Amino acid sequence: MIAPRLTTDRLTLRALGPQDAEAFAAFYADARSSFVGGPMNAEQSWRTLAGEIGHWTLNGFGRWAVTETGSDTCIGCVGLWAPLGWPEPEIGWDLFEGATGKGYATEAAEAARTYAYDTLGWDTAISLVANGNDASVRVATRLGCTPEGTFTHARLGTLTIYRHPKVGV
Amino acid sequence: MGHRDIPVLRTRRLELRGPKAEDYPNFKATFTSYRARFMGGPLNEYESWMLYAAEIGHWEIRGYGMWMIHDRETGDTLGMAGGWKPARWPEAELAWIIWPEVAGKGYALEATNAARTYFYEHGGWDGAVSYLDPKNLDSIRLAERLGARRDKDAATVDGHDVIYRHPSPADLDNTRLAHGIEMEIEHYADPAFKPKGYALD
Repeated sequence: MIAPRLTTDRLTLRALGPQDAEAFAAFYADARSSFVGGPMNAEQSWRTLAGEIGHWTLNGFGRWAVTETGSDTCIGCVGLWAPLGWPEPEIGWDLFEGATGKGYATEAAEAARTYAYDTLGWDTAISLVANGNDASVRVATRLGCTPEGTFTHARLGTLTIYRHPKVGV
Repeated sequence: MGHRDIPVLRTRRLELRGPKAEDYPNFKATFTSYRARFMGGPLNEYESWMLYAAEIGHWEIRGYGMWMIHDRETGDTLGMAGGWKPARWPEAELAWIIWPEVAGKGYALEATNAARTYFYEHGGWDGAVSYLDPKNLDSIRLAERLGARRDKDAATVDGHDVIYRHPSPADLDNTRLAHGIEMEIEHYADPAFKPKGYALD
């Protein structure tokens, strides 16, 4: 399955592809990625990109490349995420260097959530946030999420579960 | 880039299809086991699932990838074979893995030969290598049965692998080598043709 294109006021969410390997490599080489499984080398980040794409085939949903409308450059990876063993389907957001502080994560995550609720029929969703990732906590809060316990992952450690408001709330 | 329709390959005993969600449990059983020690494993459950997802994404990124091998009669999965070139791989690789409980029946030979033929005839490949762990004697033996030869001058992935270079399309065009491979596959498919004293594995 290929990701459908979504648009917001400022952003276009499109399917991830080979053209995004460099943006992934740069993001995952940086210490900022330590909240989401990094840092990792270019081979590992390539496999991560391939895994993001394969997630769509395995689950029928996944994450998108976030671009500023009018540009094709991938400035983040946002969307729906549920690898095997995840506590519940998640809305996740990774904004790359230079794309933070503009409200893009919130804007893209809202579009992904609307897609999950209206198109996929989800009635709830969570987001998992690593300890110390204050920027991500602020995004979760702006999205109306409330903390609801923790989930411990073999690779990512202990994460706080944020519960999204239900459909129509 | 649109969704790629992964081609279906059929051989006498096998059908090679794109990996699907329902095929995952057998992949997981092998990749979380000691059997995967030559392929970066054993993996934990998260790593195993992410690798499986990456096998699928590989098709989208490269235009080729690893097929799931099915028994044509039962539909059961037997392993995977195909093309593999994640970042850092110097050349496109022909790769295979057979679930341990169905090893020794010539499935890897039959499937990898079909994948190689497909890449040569339809994928524009003019050669291929296999990056093997020097301790993985079964795979080294299979590479040799496929006509591949050790290439000591080729670039390695990480310095710990040995490189086997596959015969070129010309080397396999109606040659003794190609006929020998076909004959060995036939012997597996129909053991009545097995010559006396023939090594089964």
